[in-house]
Amino acid sequence: MDFPIEYYPGRSFFHRLDPRAKLVFLLFFTVVIAAIQHIYVVVAVFLTVIALWCLAGLPLRTMGGYLRMWGGLMAFLFVVHAIMHPGEVVLINPLIPPFVPLIGGRGSVTKEGILFAFTITVRQLALISILPLVSMTTPIHLFALGLVRFGLPYQLAYTITTALNMIPVLQAELRIIMDAQRLRAFGTFEKGNPIARMKAYPLLVTPLVIGAMRRAQLSAVAMESRGFGAKGKRTYIEDITFKPKDWVFICLTTLYCLAALLVNFLG
Amino acid sequence: MRNPAIKLENLTYIYQPYGVVALEDVSFEVGEGEFVAVIGQNGSGKTTLLKNIVGLLKPTQGRVLVEGLDTRRSTVAELSRWVGLVLQNPDQQLFAQTVEEEIAFGPRNLNLPDTEVASRVEEAMAMLGLEPFRREFPLALSIGDRARVVIASVLAMRPRIILLDEPTMGQDYRGHHQIMGVAGQLHGEGHTIVIATHHVDLVAEYAQRVIVLCGGRILLDDTPAAVFSQPEVLRRTHIAPPQITQLAQALPSYLGLPRDALTVAELGEAVLEKVKIKRSLPRRS
Amino acid sequence: MDIGDPYIIIDNVSYRYPGTKCYALKELNLTIYKGEFVAILGEHLAGKSTFCQLLNGIIPNFKGGRMEGSVIVGGLDTQEVSVAELAQKVGIVLQDPEAQLFTTKVLSEVAFGPENLCLDVEEILERIKWALEVVHLTGFEERPPTSLSGGQKQRLAIAAALAMRPEVLVLDEATTQLDPVGTLEVFSVVRELNEKYGMTIVMATHKSDEVAQFADRVLILHRGRLIAQGTPQEVFGKAELLRRATIRPPQVSQLATYLEERSLHLSEFPITIEQAKRGIERLFNGETSR
Repeated sequence: MDFPIEYYPGRSFFHRLDPRAKLVFLLFFTVVIAAIQHIYVVVAVFLTVIALWCLAGLPLRTMGGYLRMWGGLMAFLFVVHAIMHPGEVVLINPLIPPFVPLIGGRGSVTKEGILFAFTITVRQLALISILPLVSMTTPIHLFALGLVRFGLPYQLAYTITTALNMIPVLQAELRIIMDAQRLRAFGTFEKGNPIARMKAYPLLVTPLVIGAMRRAQLSAVAMESRGFGAKGKRTYIEDITFKPKDWVFICLTTLYCLAALLVNFLG
Repeated sequence: MRNPAIKLENLTYIYQPYGVVALEDVSFEVGEGEFVAVIGQNGSGKTTLLKNIVGLLKPTQGRVLVEGLDTRRSTVAELSRWVGLVLQNPDQQLFAQTVEEEIAFGPRNLNLPDTEVASRVEEAMAMLGLEPFRREFPLALSIGDRARVVIASVLAMRPRIILLDEPTMGQDYRGHHQIMGVAGQLHGEGHTIVIATHHVDLVAEYAQRVIVLCGGRILLDDTPAAVFSQPEVLRRTHIAPPQITQLAQALPSYLGLPRDALTVAELGEAVLEKVKIKRSLPRRS
Repeated sequence: MDIGDPYIIIDNVSYRYPGTKCYALKELNLTIYKGEFVAILGEHLAGKSTFCQLLNGIIPNFKGGRMEGSVIVGGLDTQEVSVAELAQKVGIVLQDPEAQLFTTKVLSEVAFGPENLCLDVEEILERIKWALEVVHLTGFEERPPTSLSGGQKQRLAIAAALAMRPEVLVLDEATTQLDPVGTLEVFSVVRELNEKYGMTIVMATHKSDEVAQFADRVLILHRGRLIAQGTPQEVFGKAELLRRATIRPPQVSQLATYLEERSLHLSEFPITIEQAKRGIERLFNGETSR
């Protein structure tokens, strides 16, 4: 499944927001999500993100696929958290014998454990969902412009956005590389166990990284050859201007985040 | 009754979710030991066709039989014993740290004993002239050498059928003939070869049979001479016959030169013959 | 095409890439005139790309390495001036259609160069309009580059280079990865640029059939050296030299060589089908009228 980064055209309010407003949103939400721990707040924030996703007109299918991609890792972390979190109300009891170092005495799955694991997992999901929300509703050159208007030198902004732009390209490459491996009777990435897969990653990474490096070098030559880095105040034919609705959005975002933090730490 | 090497029955392939019909109702057979070229402009379905034969793509409708096996019921790994595919870009097909390891990759995945793997690696390297590069990092070699390493790697699986998708892409004149020479060599050893390409002069020189695709359908399926004698049909898929054939077709028929000449040597010999005849005729006074 | 004054002067240039001992280019001496259509042929690694990148200063300014001699482009010494400045004299189109396009729509792609030059918005929009017209991509402004065909992508790359308003357009194997349709599209545009707009063209390629028709001059590179130059007629007749440099001349030229090696000479050395046809007809008619 693909890492959703690529621009998804649309006319939703989210698409039409100034990229800077969206970057502020990204920053604030990231901070808030990282801070909150109360289960109701976490779930509410996650549902808000999903709601925004729908309002932005982004396909739910993509969200679903994206989350499924993380599914394995999430399930693993869920189990770990559930087991490791201390609690009182024991639900399942495969206790690890006390003499096992570090994790001895633990291993019973408690109600608190499950709630904790659930909270953490939903929190992770919310966290990873907000970058696509921004990158899929903002054309890459406006994303770069937003960064520039925030004070980043344009070379750096373009480097960041070009790197982001490479992600879909690399995904396509990855699919072809995996096809090539299947053609040599290598089925580990389809059916292998996690350990075998981990061992096999260098096989994927080598051609991918070398291909990416080659492409990056060529892109750099192409950009230089079109005057990238020339002195002076760079022009942008498509400019971004802050409109009232952007301010409204930022205010709402700020209020929402403050509210979430308040409820979390006081409720 | 021997199975044909490849048999396509009403193959239709549609790329979802775009709904693009890449292949429409394609049927043909390739017999054991044939050398077939598939030509057509980009987007005519050449790559889709090869991927369907090897099982990377499964038919939307119709079926594909490889040595009698239905691709819908086999995995790519299972089919890889019978049919190998060399994709267009070598850089996406090289994974190992040395050329030796790369070529050994396939046979090892087939769970062959080490001695068998080693002998296949040696054989493939010898056939492709890769011994000097055995410890080199494959991705650091020149484009022509990288292409040959990939071919050797696929060859080491000993498939009876070898498919090549634009194997001469990005190479120079020497590279083109090297690769086609290898294909010819493999053909000589009994492999069935199918090459997708748009280099018509190479096709004219090496292929026995040419299948022309246009918009996912077969336009022509015949010998190179027959196919290239129909420039008006080829124009529909934006292909022109080799320059030498175009010349042969442009020459007035009273000269008695073959209108389906496929190579420089062929037309050259014909011209020499005719001139020799003329010169040996008694002069009119 | 009317040939004008010298525009690019390459004076005894040798170059090697950083960290290598072998020279990629050796003692190159060459002048390219305004309005010329110059084709560069050479086998893989003969130095074609290196040569192309000399012309806009990427070598040595961006890639480093060691360069001897000098390259003067429109009066500017490439070793004294920035690539950004040279980009306004020499535009370059690379082989890989994907790597040189990095924005989300055609409009932004063509705007990229002029934006870097800090020009006015109106000026930039003017240039974009003109560039897209020249390459016949008007109307494609909002399309994402990834949705274009190979030929369209390379034409877009040409437009992006043209927006810098260069005197010279360099194409480094720009058609090598394209199918016959795409190749023809690109050659048409390039030919129009040369004949209608008077642009100087330097084109490194393998496709000798096409350049035979359009090039004023053909250069042959072999192992970093310029081993031959002349009109297509002159160069494609040098069979031995071409063999040494592993260059494939047009098949009709190969035919003439084949016949010559067997003591049969055509009245003119052909590089196009028309010329070969005439030559062979004359050969036969000449015979009967003896």
